[in-house]
Amino acid sequence: MAVAIPPAIERRLDRLERIWEEPSGLVGWLTTTNHKRIGLLFLFTTLLFFLAGGVEALLIRTQLLAPEKGVLGPDAFNQMFSTHGVTMIFFVVVPMSIGAFGNYLVPLMVGARDMAFPRMNAFSFWVFLCSGVFLYTGVFAGHAPNAGWFNYVPLASKEFDPGPNVDFYALALLFSGISTTATSINLIVTIFKLRAPGMSINRMPLFCFAFLAVSFALVFALPPLNVALVLLELERLAGFHFYDVGSGGSALLWQHLFWIFGHPEVYIIILPAFGIATSIIPTFARRRMVAFPLVALAEILVAFIGFGVWAHHMFAVGLTQLTTIYFAAASLVIVIPSGIQLFAWITTLVTGRPRFKTPLLWIVGFIVFFIVGGLSGIMFAAIPFDQQMTDTYFVVAHFHFVIFGAAMFPLVGGLYYWFPKVSGRLFDERLGKLSFWLTFVGATVTFFPMHIVGLLGMPRRQYTYPGGLGWTGYNLAETIGSYVLGAGLLLVVVNLAVSLRCGAPAGDDPWEGDTLEWSIPSPPPEYNYAVIPTVSSPYPMWDREDRELDERRLAAGEMTLERGHETPTSSVEDANLDEIVAMPSASWAPLLTALMLAALFAMLVTRHWVAAGGFFGLAFAVVGVWHWNEPEGA
Amino acid sequence: MSAMDASSPAAVASTDRRQGAWPNGFWGLLLLLATEGALLMVLYATYFYLRTRAVEWPLGGIEAPDPVVPLILTATLVATSLPMALASGAARRGRARAAWIAILVALFVQAGYFAFEMHSFASDLDTFQPDDNAYASIYYTVLGADHFHVFVGMLLNLWLLARLLGGLTSYRAVGVRAVSWYWHFANLMTLFTIGTILSAAV
Repeated sequence: MAVAIPPAIERRLDRLERIWEEPSGLVGWLTTTNHKRIGLLFLFTTLLFFLAGGVEALLIRTQLLAPEKGVLGPDAFNQMFSTHGVTMIFFVVVPMSIGAFGNYLVPLMVGARDMAFPRMNAFSFWVFLCSGVFLYTGVFAGHAPNAGWFNYVPLASKEFDPGPNVDFYALALLFSGISTTATSINLIVTIFKLRAPGMSINRMPLFCFAFLAVSFALVFALPPLNVALVLLELERLAGFHFYDVGSGGSALLWQHLFWIFGHPEVYIIILPAFGIATSIIPTFARRRMVAFPLVALAEILVAFIGFGVWAHHMFAVGLTQLTTIYFAAASLVIVIPSGIQLFAWITTLVTGRPRFKTPLLWIVGFIVFFIVGGLSGIMFAAIPFDQQMTDTYFVVAHFHFVIFGAAMFPLVGGLYYWFPKVSGRLFDERLGKLSFWLTFVGATVTFFPMHIVGLLGMPRRQYTYPGGLGWTGYNLAETIGSYVLGAGLLLVVVNLAVSLRCGAPAGDDPWEGDTLEWSIPSPPPEYNYAVIPTVSSPYPMWDREDRELDERRLAAGEMTLERGHETPTSSVEDANLDEIVAMPSASWAPLLTALMLAALFAMLVTRHWVAAGGFFGLAFAVVGVWHWNEPEGA
Repeated sequence: MSAMDASSPAAVASTDRRQGAWPNGFWGLLLLLATEGALLMVLYATYFYLRTRAVEWPLGGIEAPDPVVPLILTATLVATSLPMALASGAARRGRARAAWIAILVALFVQAGYFAFEMHSFASDLDTFQPDDNAYASIYYTVLGADHFHVFVGMLLNLWLLARLLGGLTSYRAVGVRAVSWYWHFANLMTLFTIGTILSAAV
């Protein structure tokens, strides 16, 4: 770091700094279009929701600590477990994956200076924040979702759930869906078009393959959910009939629509974790990923097959035998791409020279949990077993192993892995390891006994239970485990927060990482890359000649794009240089549009139709003004 | 033009070679249409799902729609794909005025279509209400979703007309191309919508 920079290069860097500088202070954060700032905004917001979801989980577990406890009444319990599920899935795992990790890292990994649509990126964040605030306004007003995260009708219909709880659920999910769709489209176009010249599809990091697969899955999976929610609200708010059998509707229609979304959603939750695992494993195993093309294909295939298995959530509702057999078989097929990835990770670790630093430990934890959760998943593809176990704690055990163990662990591992890049500082390794072991043991003690109580017949979603059924000891262990787990996660936050101030300087590349983000300073400058990097393999940091070439090009001013707020675009497959595009800079329009939409949804939930129409018009008007302001030089 | 600002000669040469690669904005639009298309497909699927469960269709003695007027109207709307394609081509060749006139012609026909459709929507409402039964609910929802897409398309055309008064930029040319493809999509979806709605008469 102490090497003197030649004055010519310094002038170049200063120029780039000036071009890409954003307003300072609060205004800077409110108007930012920089993908790194937006990624951080997503991260901090999702961490707050994670805290909320965690508190809900601890309340649930405290209520179930022993038989006949009175911490939560039945109605409060319904609201807590429903809000816990909705929060963790829609406001933590998915936005943390694609919003925080995707936004921050994808442009860095493909060698771009920003996302393809920077203002839409800011819009995604503000919509996400407003939708979360909307949901939690309902929660604090005592109208939290109360019909479970999959909100089955007729329980969720007006007749049986007359309060605004389900309206808050449905409208909050529709609202946040706008954000998720926008982020997905942005990620796809960024991955397709903004890769550094030379980074053809087969040289793209596996992380980006995973995020590409997730984004495509979201683009096609959210519409069925949106339709289901719109139909539900038309029924609840305007008296339409879609789900009530008495007027020619069908209660199963909700289940089909929900799970056509819901099962791809499971892979949407887990695929970013796969992407993070395939980033961390090669770095710490100090070797290239085994079976790279197979793993890339498997990532895409998981997302694709995920669309054909939804009815395995409905084996107990009386579908025809042929239908259930088809869906059981299709569900088993997913084992193949999942297995390919699993064996590739393990083989890479075994044949490499692994350094078991904190990030890798979380990935090893992930592999263990993914195997347990995956195996219980295979059991559910057996129809008679599923019919016996459905709606018991066995299901709760299975999906917590998958969603917490397999999806959250790599996210935490990723936090540790990229923390030095984002903050410029190293975290405390000993505390990192301690936080891993606490969380790992806590998660195992919390979720494993749920298999057993499930087999013993304890139904899920029950607010209390009588003693003497053999469930008490297991429930006590689960509750203790949940507090240990909470302590482990708290330690992660403490470690990172303290290291942010007191950590040792990290340097550009503390892990000898393999992907491009490690080639630039930590934290990265606003323009990311002073010279658009040269890429000739999926492990560009290990291609020393390319990095030396970058330095020579920087000195010569080649591909430094220092005359405007610009980034290059390239062709989709071969990444040949296509054109240099001007990127928009800071803008108030995304925040204003999101606020108009927030007002629109507030009017809908309070049934002020005319005002809702007015805010819809205003949102449109702001979008018009937004696009009136064209990027300079376009 | 920003392309000329590229500091690398290779960048300029490559841009000159560039033969109609899809710009970012166009990719963004295609993906938006993919998700919108999926949404409408799910609505059509819902229509047929409800139909397969019903003992009669339409339910509750509601009369099946008469096909003649909707088919004529739809054919008129679909024809606006032509001026929209012409506008897109003109914008790409830098002819702002020709693009403007083509969009105006398209908007004129689209507005006429929309007015007729609103009239027929209102007269349907005199006959049966969306809360009568599941048939009525899905009928109005499918039709309403399609009309909404046409309405948004008209707003986009209005916006383009306002924008093109200030001349063409490459940003606006991408905008015309994107909106033109939006219309091809909306027209195709209107064909599906009308096919779904009229299937009750078969």
